[in-house]
Amino acid sequence: MEPVPRNLKILSGITIAMFVIALYMVFIYAPREAVMGDVQRVFYFHVAAGWVGALAFLVTAIAGGVYLAKRNPKWDRVAVASVEIGVVFTFINIVSGAIWARPIWNTWWTWDPRLVTATIMLLLYLAYLMLRQGIDDPDRRARFGSIYGIVAFVSVPITFLSIRIFRTIHPVVIGSGDPSAEGAFDMTPPMLQAFMFSLLTFTFIYATLLWYRMRLGRLSEQVEKRKMEMMSI
Amino acid sequence: MFLQEAPAETFSYMAFGFVVILGTMGLYLLSLFNRYRNMERDMELLDEVSAKAEPSMEKA
Repeated sequence: MEPVPRNLKILSGITIAMFVIALYMVFIYAPREAVMGDVQRVFYFHVAAGWVGALAFLVTAIAGGVYLAKRNPKWDRVAVASVEIGVVFTFINIVSGAIWARPIWNTWWTWDPRLVTATIMLLLYLAYLMLRQGIDDPDRRARFGSIYGIVAFVSVPITFLSIRIFRTIHPVVIGSGDPSAEGAFDMTPPMLQAFMFSLLTFTFIYATLLWYRMRLGRLSEQVEKRKMEMMSI
Repeated sequence: MFLQEAPAETFSYMAFGFVVILGTMGLYLLSLFNRYRNMERDMELLDEVSAKAEPSMEKA
């Protein structure tokens, strides 16, 4: 196995330590919410997962733009790695939200603008991964991925703004929300600290996973290239 | 203060939420590791095949 770079080892160590501290802050340091009880603790990782999803899709759009400008396959590797991580964390965001909603909204799912836009966003990026697999030519695949990644990014600000534009029951964490939102709560300082630390920790998790996923992408390209060489002999 | 109600009993939902969050993250990590290992095996296999193919090509 190709040795893991020293900087990646350090980053992995920092990320694991931060994750352990984040778990301590979520379960022990932050107090139990006065009305919702323990399920509110899901909030810290639910929002952090949503943040990683949005960040990952932003990185995909930027990497796609850079690929189209420079045609360096490295940027396509960044884009596809970032989409994959974004899909995983958006899935976590939606499912953990449904679990939180069950005792608070008395339903797993409702056709709320935030839930619908987030699900459309997830489906758009799942389609990105599936459609890429149908293209054999690496250059065409990368070009398609870049353009798709830029266009699909439109779904990210729509998802973010959906609870600020439309009438919704989903609470707004940053800024003031609709008064009809259910599940909103005031954060005490320890809750806010746990929340901010969770956001930072998940950003580190994203960076670490992106690095590992890019190593996998590079190795996969080498194998594909090698197979092509052998077939041409 | 004495009239304040106790928080809702939602521990099981919290536990379920964290099982999903940590479980999904764990599965993704496992998938990354497995795919990387499989790619390395493919690479080793390709090396072996090309090493065997080279002498036979020289003879030809």
